[in-house]
Amino acid sequence: MKSLVLENLSKTYFDPYRGTQFTAIKDVSLQVGEGDFVAVVGPSGCGKSTILNMIAGFVPISGGRILVDGHQVKGPGPDRGVVFQSHALFPWKTVAENVTFGPKMRGVGKAERARIADEYLALAGLSHAAERYPNELSGGMQQRVGVVRALANNPDVLLMDEPFASVDAQTRMTLQEELTRIWEERRPTVVFITHDVSEAVFLANRVVVLSKGHVLAEVAVPLARPRSWTRLVEDDGFKALSNQVLQLVRSA
Amino acid sequence: MIAPLQLLWGYYMRWTVRWPALAAFVPFLPLIALWSLIVSLGVFPRAFLPGPLDVLSKGWALLYKGILTDYLADSLARLAVGAAAGMAIAIPLGVFIGLNRRAYEISWPILLFFQAIGDIAWLPILLVWFGFGLTTMTFVIVYTVLFPVVLNTVLGIRTVKPELRRAAQSLGASRTRILFEVMLPGALPNIITGLRNGLGYGWRALIAAEIIVGTSGIGFLMFDARRAGSVEEIVVGMIVLGVLWYIVDSWLLAPIERATGQRWGLVTT
Repeated sequence: MKSLVLENLSKTYFDPYRGTQFTAIKDVSLQVGEGDFVAVVGPSGCGKSTILNMIAGFVPISGGRILVDGHQVKGPGPDRGVVFQSHALFPWKTVAENVTFGPKMRGVGKAERARIADEYLALAGLSHAAERYPNELSGGMQQRVGVVRALANNPDVLLMDEPFASVDAQTRMTLQEELTRIWEERRPTVVFITHDVSEAVFLANRVVVLSKGHVLAEVAVPLARPRSWTRLVEDDGFKALSNQVLQLVRSA
Repeated sequence: MIAPLQLLWGYYMRWTVRWPALAAFVPFLPLIALWSLIVSLGVFPRAFLPGPLDVLSKGWALLYKGILTDYLADSLARLAVGAAAGMAIAIPLGVFIGLNRRAYEISWPILLFFQAIGDIAWLPILLVWFGFGLTTMTFVIVYTVLFPVVLNTVLGIRTVKPELRRAAQSLGASRTRILFEVMLPGALPNIITGLRNGLGYGWRALIAAEIIVGTSGIGFLMFDARRAGSVEEIVVGMIVLGVLWYIVDSWLLAPIERATGQRWGLVTT
């Protein structure tokens, strides 16, 4: 896993109805060190998904630079793994085939792919579901597969776009705990987009609050690890930080 | 009145689960009974409306002489060749148009235009160009199969979720790999739907072409029987058409659909 740098990133769209340029992202700079976990929060429409889509290379940038491990980003690539809100698993591939899709594209052989599938499905607690198809899984299981599919390809940076937004509240807490456990074990570099303030504080080392396309504030989260909801839900430090971030988001 | 019917329905459901072939056969029993009834009432002369047994014995005779099997083989071979050629052109063309925005914008009106000129509407000019022969028949089938498959393939390619393509890109898939691992499987349920429609239309077009062009085949059998005044033979031909399509659809196309789109949750039953 390597570092990620955003330098004066900006994005403008042409608004065909008004005939003017619309600025979605304005002068955003951000440094995510190797093995860091940064959450980006903000109200809907603040441009957080646009930033992620630009880092992923899905959307062209209008100004500034994006550097992954010192190399400038041009289009999508396997150095940046993406976890989608809609899970985006391949419906015609089994869970194991989904997880090993990246390695298969790199030309990794069958035996090695089987080993990768075993390892990452065990990491997600999904060994029993290896031969199932995505539509036979619950929403929570689909997201777990989405996360390990990105991880199994060994990206420099893991980009997560509100991955737990569409699962129920209980499952979401379990998934958050599993993600912290995986992160504490493997220390990938993560950029995590969410609109859920407590999710951001629970998961991240640092929370970036975005407002109208620019960075409003950065809040460090020095909570001890390993983190779990049973402990943090009553923790004063967690509550104070969540409150602080929430106030920032609401003022945004 | 309701209770015995429900009881009967319950038995029917249980039996058809145990012997699925029954489900294909039993619904026709009332139809055949009605047919027999009308024939026995003598409303129409026998020569115009033969009974089920007359038709059955005629069918047996044709089968026994080998005419029915020969003609059936001819018709099926024509359909298979035409459909294979149609698919070989239609799927790559549909993929190309589906992937390429410019090709889509340019070709879509043309596709709709030519789709509207039905298969049989081509027969007059084809007869002028190619005469009464295999070329004309093959052209009609290829043409008929082509459009539903192209249009559905285009639709299928264009409706593959953009996240799936993005996911594949950020997992390091090249354009070619994305085509084969994402776009084609994603479009497959639509391609199969197109194939199903195309074969259905193609089968009908073939019979029409055989009636006009034919020297053999089920369509020719029926039209030839008209000349000889054998209504039984015409009805045999009609029944063969229905049975054959039922077999192709339920034994060949439906299982493919179950194994792909339905299994993947892309198509709901």
